[in-house]
Amino acid sequence: MPGDQAALVSPDLPLRANLSARENIALIPLYQRHYSAGEAARQAQALLEQLGFATIADKRDPDMSPSERFVAKLGRALILRRPRLVIERPGAMLYDIHYPAFLREIAARFEDTPANWEVFDFDWNRPLYD
Amino acid sequence: MEFLLNFVERTGAKAMGWWSTSYGVLAFLSEVLSTLARPATWNRATLDTIIKQIYFTAVQILHVYLIYVLAISWVIITITLSTARDVGLFDAATEMIIRVLLLELLPFLTALLIALRSGSAINTEVALMKVNNELDALSHCRVEPMQFEFLPRIIGGIASVIGLTVLGSVLTLILAYLSIYGLSTSGFAAFSNTISSVFSVGVLAGVAVKCVFFGLALTTLPMAAGLETPKKLFMVPVSVLRGMMRVFLALVLIEVVSLALEYI
Repeated sequence: MPGDQAALVSPDLPLRANLSARENIALIPLYQRHYSAGEAARQAQALLEQLGFATIADKRDPDMSPSERFVAKLGRALILRRPRLVIERPGAMLYDIHYPAFLREIAARFEDTPANWEVFDFDWNRPLYD
Repeated sequence: MEFLLNFVERTGAKAMGWWSTSYGVLAFLSEVLSTLARPATWNRATLDTIIKQIYFTAVQILHVYLIYVLAISWVIITITLSTARDVGLFDAATEMIIRVLLLELLPFLTALLIALRSGSAINTEVALMKVNNELDALSHCRVEPMQFEFLPRIIGGIASVIGLTVLGSVLTLILAYLSIYGLSTSGFAAFSNTISSVFSVGVLAGVAVKCVFFGLALTTLPMAAGLETPKKLFMVPVSVLRGMMRVFLALVLIEVVSLALEYI
């Protein structure tokens, strides 16, 4: 999977622990697109609001619930603006909720984005998606 | 025969260990230099992170550092003045204070303080980042860890050693003047002459280079040790232990080499 084609949301790619959710997401516009710190933070905040999790903006990884952590990772992946968005083993990240419904609900908020969302899950979890 | 084989095996393993460590540090340093030389590195985000690092490394400990310098300088100045008076070398006391404290002791103690506080923190943080895959996550997002995490800490470390040493030196000079001449301004000309005679351009450049090497050692060695950490949480303390031992040995080596170059 070429790195520039897919944005991964994976249990193996954690957030930077000493940064808040907003700062983790803002790193991408800040370092890749050379926006100012203020503008990068504004973009990150807007994305968290679109995800419906604006309140986690100032939380750091250890203070987040599993779904909040997942949303922060998802925000980081979305802001990469890559053609594919791959969610890998969602059950390992969203172990405290019925995650297929949660994923559908969040994906619905981004229907107009060009990224192709793909979920890679264990085969034995297939019934959960029915 | 078995003893000889074991000895050769152990020595070989140690030599290989040293080689691999030295190679790792040199490879890391060369990556630092190439990142430094890339114009793309020097954007607003990097500069902001460098400023943050200088704040964490130098500004946050400023009050502690100044008290520490004040206490050490006062003790050394008092001992030097008292000994110089006893042996009839009071006229040379100012020069002795400048040479011992400003040129040698203060830069070394500053580096040691920053190494203990920030070097150990850097080592632990990099090791944890390695173990937790945070570096891989940054690379996946095309945020280069060298530019975002490592380089600002190195530049911050070097700037902090230089900045704190300069501040400490000014404080020590004031303390030395007050200890020798009191509040009178009568000794100002003689004191200034001694300072200017000791601080030639060559000596100043030597102290600056030494501070740069101190800053480089107390940041790059802990980072290199952190990056060597296997992806096992229980190896983090071992990584910090190794990194800090290397920092201590490097600081002593730099000090010894600088003394040898200056006086031998």
